[in-house]
Amino acid sequence: MARSVWKGPFVDGYLLKKAEAARSSQRKEVIKTWSRRSTILPQFVGLTFSVYNGLKFLPVIVTENMVGHKFGEFSPTRTFHGHSGDKKAKRA
Amino acid sequence: MRAPGRAPAQPDWVEVGVVGAPVGVRGAMRIMPFTANPEDIVSYGPVHAGPGGPALALTLARVEAKGVVARARGIQDRDAAARLRGTRLYVPRAALPPTEPETYYHHDLIGLDAETPDGRVVGTVVAVVNHGAGDVLEIAVAGRASHAVAFTRAFVPVVDLAARRVVIDPAALDEGDA
Repeated sequence: MARSVWKGPFVDGYLLKKAEAARSSQRKEVIKTWSRRSTILPQFVGLTFSVYNGLKFLPVIVTENMVGHKFGEFSPTRTFHGHSGDKKAKRA
Repeated sequence: MRAPGRAPAQPDWVEVGVVGAPVGVRGAMRIMPFTANPEDIVSYGPVHAGPGGPALALTLARVEAKGVVARARGIQDRDAAARLRGTRLYVPRAALPPTEPETYYHHDLIGLDAETPDGRVVGTVVAVVNHGAGDVLEIAVAGRASHAVAFTRAFVPVVDLAARRVVIDPAALDEGDA
């Protein structure tokens, strides 16, 4: 069942504070978080989070099309690395 | 589960697939491709059965959900195709086309030394993953769990394939404060 609209998106309070501090500091920093349940808000766009997956922290660079999703969606707890083959990585 | 991204044992050869079960009686075989697009397995010229092994000229028959079905020149019957089952297929690294600027093959990145800007080696790149939030380098650090670093100019300012190293910004290793 979907969350009621009147409640607004859920974000852990401490994460919101850390994100606001990071935005105001303008420094290149990674925000470490265990809060996989928090919703990605528009004000997080451009920030880099490090989201715990139960084993380690995975970097999540927030972009516009991630708004509305949860942080945990981008830090899978089960990982199959697969084979490199001819796959490419682009440096953002 | 496979060990996290082993460094390629043969840097001059790229593993592009593995031969599966034979299909039909005329020598066709199912191949599990490791290429980004399954049909690309036949686009880099003949594949080799092992690094530097005998060449196999593949012809693509069709793409399936579990891989591709292909025929190899000289493989005429089911028994010959069955003998190839489990064979790992390679192409020379030189057969891959050059990439666009700021784009790197995973094969080239895996195995590079990860260094801090002052030249201290902190680990080795063991995998490149993308979980929907950008490409991430996994750095194996001796004596602890691997470390994930976002593959961006900010956190990985230098990628030097010739010197086999990447430079990692210390901010990416510290991960901020808890």
